[in-house]
Amino acid sequence: METLDGTEWDVVIADTGFASSLLALSLSRSGKRILHLDPNEYYGGAEAAFSLAEAETWALRWSESTDGATFSHASVTKPSLSGDSKLLSSRAYSLALAPHLIYARSNNVPALVSSQCHNQLDFQAVGSWFVLNPFDDALTSSSRLIRVPSSREDVFQDASLALKAKRALMKFLRFVASYEEQTETWNDSRDQSFSLFLEQKFGLPAASHEPIMALTMSTTPASSTTTGFALPRIAQHLRSIGIFGPGFGAVLPKWGGLAEIAQVACRAGAVGGGVYVLNKAIKEAAKVEQSDTIALTLDGNERVSTTWLCGSTETTRWTGCTPAVSEEDFTTISRSISIVSSPLSHLFPPTSEGGVTPAGAVVVVPSPDASEPPVHILVHTSDAGECPMDQSVAYASVALPSDTGYPRLERAISDLLLSAEDAQPELLWTLRYQQRTNLSTQALRESGGLINLPALRDDLVLDDSVLDGVRQAWQSITSEEQSVFMKFEAREGGEEEE
Amino acid sequence: MTDSTASAPKPSSSVKLVLLGEAAVGKSSLVLRFVNNDFQPNKEPTIGAAFLTQKCQLPSRTIKFEIWDTAGQERFASLAPMYYRNAQSALVVYDMTKPSSLVKAKHWVAELQRQASPGIVIALVGNKLDLCDDDDPEDEAQDGENAEGHEEEAVRKVSTAEAKAYAEEESLLFYETSAKTGHNVSEVFTAIANAIPETSLKGPRTGAGGGTQAAISGGQDTSRVNLNARGADGAAKEGCAC
Ligand SMILES: Nc1nc2c(ncn2[C@@H]2O[C@H](COP(=O)(O)OP(=O)(O)O)[C@@H](O)[C@H]2O)c(=O)[nH]1
Ligand SMILES: [Mg+2]
Repeated sequence: METLDGTEWDVVIADTGFASSLLALSLSRSGKRILHLDPNEYYGGAEAAFSLAEAETWALRWSESTDGATFSHASVTKPSLSGDSKLLSSRAYSLALAPHLIYARSNNVPALVSSQCHNQLDFQAVGSWFVLNPFDDALTSSSRLIRVPSSREDVFQDASLALKAKRALMKFLRFVASYEEQTETWNDSRDQSFSLFLEQKFGLPAASHEPIMALTMSTTPASSTTTGFALPRIAQHLRSIGIFGPGFGAVLPKWGGLAEIAQVACRAGAVGGGVYVLNKAIKEAAKVEQSDTIALTLDGNERVSTTWLCGSTETTRWTGCTPAVSEEDFTTISRSISIVSSPLSHLFPPTSEGGVTPAGAVVVVPSPDASEPPVHILVHTSDAGECPMDQSVAYASVALPSDTGYPRLERAISDLLLSAEDAQPELLWTLRYQQRTNLSTQALRESGGLINLPALRDDLVLDDSVLDGVRQAWQSITSEEQSVFMKFEAREGGEEEE
Repeated sequence: MTDSTASAPKPSSSVKLVLLGEAAVGKSSLVLRFVNNDFQPNKEPTIGAAFLTQKCQLPSRTIKFEIWDTAGQERFASLAPMYYRNAQSALVVYDMTKPSSLVKAKHWVAELQRQASPGIVIALVGNKLDLCDDDDPEDEAQDGENAEGHEEEAVRKVSTAEAKAYAEEESLLFYETSAKTGHNVSEVFTAIANAIPETSLKGPRTGAGGGTQAAISGGQDTSRVNLNARGADGAAKEGCAC
């Protein structure tokens, strides 16, 4: 194999995670000399997608807790006796570390379209939101799983709501539609409990808060979710509905979540002349005195130089160039990926008559204790290309460390399976892991040619801060006008259609 | 189903195809022949990778190939994985005048079988047939010695029988082509289009059969969301109100 030793670059990107790959895409027609590396032998970094065998290897690698690493406490279990016989071949699965949903009203959508990326991606609808109440003998299965009415029409038709509650809810939804102009209603409550706000300003009884709370996708306990956090989230949810078709407002990328977008972005980087090398970590970086250059030492002691070094906090943390981060900047969450032996069709009612078939559903499992965070589960059908037909994948997440988080996840998934109407679904395979997210890098950090790109937030919604950070990085590197960010003509031969 | 009338629009599906093979075997030339029906004898090697599309008309449907040509950078062996990921088909090319290129092709086939989607359709293609003077590829009893008028390397070094036997063993489609004359080029793509299982094109729910190719369900039309619909416009305006 050829050597990189002695090569000079304008930009070295240290990993192929989501943000880093979007940066490569944004620079793909800049004419810059770009070296795009990844320490792993696969694409996608912390947002990769895996076959079963790859996931099992990955779990072994992160089973222990390594200082400063993003992942830890990973393990795979096959709880069902029949698991082995119902699991198909390893590559029949493409399990996503980042199964995030993308709202129609997010900055990511226009960028994917104007950069021509969407031509090579498939998106599917995330249809319904549910609240799943913890199992209780007194309740029948249908009353434990409640579909959240997500539009005013939905609320109107909901027979389970009392007229008074319906009116209060409608009033609230009308308010959210233009909450920015009504600061007098909520400004004082901005930093206060959202529950209290719903009760005091709209007379919504505590019992009706859970479905509203579910739309915020807030990872924090209900008692500490603030009005200032919740309102924009709910507004984004409601305003997204109908943009891509009736009855839904969020999409998921087919074939493995954000990993798929990252790879399409890297391909664009390669088409633009970027050089891609997997299995290559940066061991050291040092600013060269009196110059604009950073000298890098790579695995295998190859030395290269670059003007810019960009990457996630994790992949650039060994380089000696990284600004210090404190432990308090991190949150720890527990996550699991479960393969279920049933399509869980009760979670996927049609988005609308004749509309698209949803491939995703959101299930929020509140804690009975309002000071404990909820569990969020994203369920994907086999249409999402992540599992064989007649199975489904449940991605669960809770903002707790593994010791308290894993039992919550386990319980939530087992309650979810109990809610199924058809023959009792089984768990075929589960991967659990703990993830550390650096919240301080949600904004871009830049010093002397080194750029730390923002990490994904700790919830399951792709937020706008990642792309905002990528835009800033792109602007620092190219000094171009904001308005041309991610705006590309279709390449010759890759003509657009439909 | 039955003979469709000319006016009825045929169903159309996209198929991702990746080209793999040693440098200079003629991958880019094959694509150029297929897409533009053109050949450039001394074409500059592509920098980076290339993406092209071309339609292929079958009697019952239209297949739109999305072709990824892994040019140049095979040197770091890092590009191919992101191209064959989710690819429904692969064209693995060797140069019949260069035996080492068949060895490389076999490596690619093994890697695809190990790493790519389980149902991937692989075609093995021996290119540069025009350089071999045996008009009938089946008949290559004596090779090499009779090549007066050709340069030394311009003769068949890989027999049809050898490559064909290997292709059969690995269940690959097999063709010998010339990007220069166009011989067999469209045939390769048509054969691939025909070999893509219907289930991975449309409506996997109907194909309840248990073949491995159905393991990952393919592009189901009813679940596809078009981001271009109203998204680009509507979403762009929203800015950051948060
Ligand atoms: N005689 C002949 N030359 C070919 C054929 N296909 C490609 N070439 C030549 O082989 C060289 C390499 O071709 P190219 O398409 O760039 O190969 P790639 O590196 O695999 O993409 C070029 O000089 C082509 O003109 C063919 O079918 N016959
Ligand atoms: Mg080429």
